[in-house]
Amino acid sequence: MEEILRVEDLTYLYSPGTPFEKAAVEGVNLSVKQGEFLAVIGHTGSGKSTLIQHFNGLLKPSRGRVLLRGRDIWEDKALTRQARFRVGLVFQYPENQLFEETVEADVSFGPKNMGLPPEEIRRRAVESLAACGLGEETLQKSPFDLSGGQKRRAALAGVLAMEPEALVLDEPAAGLDPRGREEIFRLIQQYHRQKGATVIFVTHSMEDAARLASRIVVMRAGKIFMEGTPPQVFSQAQQLADAGLDVPQITQVFLRLRELGAPVDAGVYTIEQAKEELLRCRREGKGC
Amino acid sequence: MLKDITLGQYFPVDSPVHRLDARTKLLLSFAYIMVLFLIHGPAAYLLCALAVAGVTALSRIPFKMLLKSLKPIAFLAVFTSVLNMLYTPGQILWQWHFLRITVEGLESAAYMASRIVMLVASTSLLTYSTSPVSLTDAIETLLRPLMKVRVPVHEFAMMMTIALRFIPTLIEETDKIMNAQKARGADFESGNLMRRAKALVPVLTPLFISAFRRADELSVAMECRLYRGGQGRTRMKQLKMGKNDGAAFALALLFALCAFGAGRILP
Repeated sequence: MEEILRVEDLTYLYSPGTPFEKAAVEGVNLSVKQGEFLAVIGHTGSGKSTLIQHFNGLLKPSRGRVLLRGRDIWEDKALTRQARFRVGLVFQYPENQLFEETVEADVSFGPKNMGLPPEEIRRRAVESLAACGLGEETLQKSPFDLSGGQKRRAALAGVLAMEPEALVLDEPAAGLDPRGREEIFRLIQQYHRQKGATVIFVTHSMEDAARLASRIVVMRAGKIFMEGTPPQVFSQAQQLADAGLDVPQITQVFLRLRELGAPVDAGVYTIEQAKEELLRCRREGKGC
Repeated sequence: MLKDITLGQYFPVDSPVHRLDARTKLLLSFAYIMVLFLIHGPAAYLLCALAVAGVTALSRIPFKMLLKSLKPIAFLAVFTSVLNMLYTPGQILWQWHFLRITVEGLESAAYMASRIVMLVASTSLLTYSTSPVSLTDAIETLLRPLMKVRVPVHEFAMMMTIALRFIPTLIEETDKIMNAQKARGADFESGNLMRRAKALVPVLTPLFISAFRRADELSVAMECRLYRGGQGRTRMKQLKMGKNDGAAFALALLFALCAFGAGRILP
């Protein structure tokens, strides 16, 4: 697959040149392929949020480069601006950015800034809202009259309306109830599938990372600590614990089962896999 | 960009100045400003400058910090001194069309500039060396007599404490919202004044909403802890005057006398 985003030797310093100077991200190299579903996990303060703010040019690297389809996004001003639209960044609690009088106007903010013609803006607003499960009847509502979950989806629609090639999300499900979480991830997966878009998401939930991601990047103290498919990453429980992280709960159960002498494979990262594994054991009559 | 604001920033180190009672510092800063406006002559000004420098050294606050607080008023100081230089009548030194510089003008420009600088430096010293909470406590205690004439002193002090407490929070919030809108292509850096002002709407609306939400949550949290105004409220940290405060007042009195004296003796 073609590479869409590439980060080369990225370092970002907070308060450079003062006694408070601190590298939030240090010497990070990362390549993201078109259509990937990438999870970024790490302890609080490990530099995840700082890293992803480089992908659309919100932060300028102190050292190193960020390449969008092979071109440095800081090469010229027009390209930096384009990066904002081509890489859609959804912040934590994005509903806090809603400001317009109507949901439609708010979702149109991004497309309007892109300088699109009015019909196109309207089409995108309606389409992305519909994709986020908000029908025609919400278009003229005030965003502040929506429920918590609806607000989150309206804010997501505001970024999807720019139809970015890559969608970057910082803890998209934080603070939502279980149903809201399911719903948000379903929408993200749907966008990923339908548009063939690349998705990068930051999460604190090992379960979400195991369940959704095709690849996981583990950050620790501003550096990439581990990288690989969910089985590759979660098979190293000890190292993850060193980074202040954990394996998914279901994996913990299976690790413990193995310790107790059950003939199960500990390489189980989702409930679905757990079911299969237990059924296999049973079939093979190993007394599970 | 927003993080550079130093308004009312407390610089927590341990020093004799930091240990002084907040009321002492508040009163003495006030007195110092009065002295600044009453003195005459270069010797007295020099003494005032020495006083600020001395207190700064004693407070262990780096001079750099003090300079940082002076940056925003540099323009004001230059502007007023230029005006003073050009519009004070007297003995003419240099003239070009309607512009003329007089000896008196130069003098008053120098005085004016140093007065502004010292005024800001001394008040910054106060906020650098006193935590906002003890500062508002001091204001509350000093204004307490006004309660006799039904001024809600405690409520004002509480409002001030809360406002100071939330400045950093709101700055952080503003930063976050600006980034979120930038991610949707908002542009705060180009265009004329009108366009830039308009570009702030997507930031200010969410900011106000979150500020109101926070206020609401805070009031509920305060009520949950049975806050019901200043009536009969006691304090964990009592303000106490000590020997140091006496010494500070004595030193300040000595300084004021010297400053007035210097103005008289060396004109």
